Amino acid sequence: MYDDNNRFPRLPWIILGLGIVFLAIGSYIGLFVAPPEALMGQVQRIMYVHVPTAWNALLAMTFAFVCAVIFLFKSDWKWDARMEAAIEVGVVLAFLLCCQGAIWAKPTWGVWWDWDPRLTTTAVLLFAFLGILALRKFVDDPARRAIWSAVATIIAYVDVPIVYYSVRWWNSLHQLQSSPSTVSRQFWLPLRMNAFGILFLMTAFIMLRARVASMRLKHELAPPPVLGEMA
Amino acid sequence: MLTAALRKELLLQWRSRAQFMAVFVFGAAALLLFSFAVGPVAELLRQFSAGFLWLGLLLSSTLTLAESFHAEMENRAMEGLLLLPSNPRALYYGKAIANWLQLTLLGIALIPVMVVLYDAGTTRVPMLILVIALGTAGLSAPGTLYAAMTAQVTSKQTLLPLLLFPLIVPALLASVKATSLIILGDPMNQVRSWIVLLASFDAIYWSLCGLLFGNVVEE
Amino acid sequence: MSGMIPGGWNYVVAAYSVTAIVLAIYGASVIARLRNEITRRNHD
Repeated sequence: MYDDNNRFPRLPWIILGLGIVFLAIGSYIGLFVAPPEALMGQVQRIMYVHVPTAWNALLAMTFAFVCAVIFLFKSDWKWDARMEAAIEVGVVLAFLLCCQGAIWAKPTWGVWWDWDPRLTTTAVLLFAFLGILALRKFVDDPARRAIWSAVATIIAYVDVPIVYYSVRWWNSLHQLQSSPSTVSRQFWLPLRMNAFGILFLMTAFIMLRARVASMRLKHELAPPPVLGEMA
Repeated sequence: MLTAALRKELLLQWRSRAQFMAVFVFGAAALLLFSFAVGPVAELLRQFSAGFLWLGLLLSSTLTLAESFHAEMENRAMEGLLLLPSNPRALYYGKAIANWLQLTLLGIALIPVMVVLYDAGTTRVPMLILVIALGTAGLSAPGTLYAAMTAQVTSKQTLLPLLLFPLIVPALLASVKATSLIILGDPMNQVRSWIVLLASFDAIYWSLCGLLFGNVVEE
Repeated sequence: MSGMIPGGWNYVVAAYSVTAIVLAIYGASVIARLRNEITRRNHD
């Protein structure tokens, strides 16, 4: 229906629907069914979207890295399209993560940003991948654009653990806060549902966005039209 | 192969030493501007002197790095160089080393400016130079790679810092921290750990960028 | 840290709303771009 090469044109839409359903149910449980946490009260509920977003942001970036590596080896355009999609979705999720983190931090620590290593690394990652998207916008030649952004993605992704450890170290000298990592057993259900919800949404977004990239590429690589046919 | 490339680069840099002077003045001006941002409070300035030095170096590095491929771009020599039997790796390391040397020199030249403006003197000068060398190495490796990319693009001015700055955050953190400890005092001898972090960052990026450089300049 | 945080609900609502809004807007933009590409392809 949309793309000649695609055998399952409806698949992304099904996954999208599933994602919305899971996210809706998981959020409902997280908001209204799960009891408030002992120490932090209602604010804890933010974790039910924050943690799933974090998992999926990292997943998107990892997938972008994998696509980049595969593209450099195989020079197959579809991996470039998928990488572009994964980077864009990853940027959106990373941005979301920073917003959620700030909303969580304000009531908890009294400041909008507490230099938590994971969140700070996410911010750096956000800028790094935004830069790669900018690079793609400014390079016209598709082959160069693909190769360069693949190289940049690999370099940025390798940097992630290094950034994380250096920020953690840098921060540990000043603060000894515990991060909001532990969620006790009874709260797993909304967390899992939202995790799957965002996973499905992310997958659907990547599939659809990759299709957009793929179609644009086809248009770019197509031979120029004969003069008489130009609109 | 590498020595030939390196010799060519150093010759090019020597020929454009006026450019180096200009970048130095830019860096010194940046350090001055930072003090205006904070105010004439001696203790505060001394506290942040390491940060200012490295921010000044970082900003200056975008000028140096962008210039480093200028010769190639002017005469479209990039393709010509690749037709020579030398491999892209030699070209990369030659340029990266030359850029590194220039940045280290710049850092050392800015030390007296820092000492004067921020009252940030120290007796541990060899250690300070080591930190500057390791930190600028961290800037030079990815910087040279991205300079090669962005030299061939129209909006190179914005793209180079945009791509480089998030990447070198660990090198920046470690360099500032180490420099700060050297200037302000280091009772628990933490400098060594930061230097190890810097050295590891350098090792990883000098190998990774060299490996990937071939992809960036091939036609 | 001990005790419950007062006024937490506002932040919770903010977080969930931001999440929903950002995801919805992004999804809409992807779908819009896809429609664009399809109409352009059908025109060629």
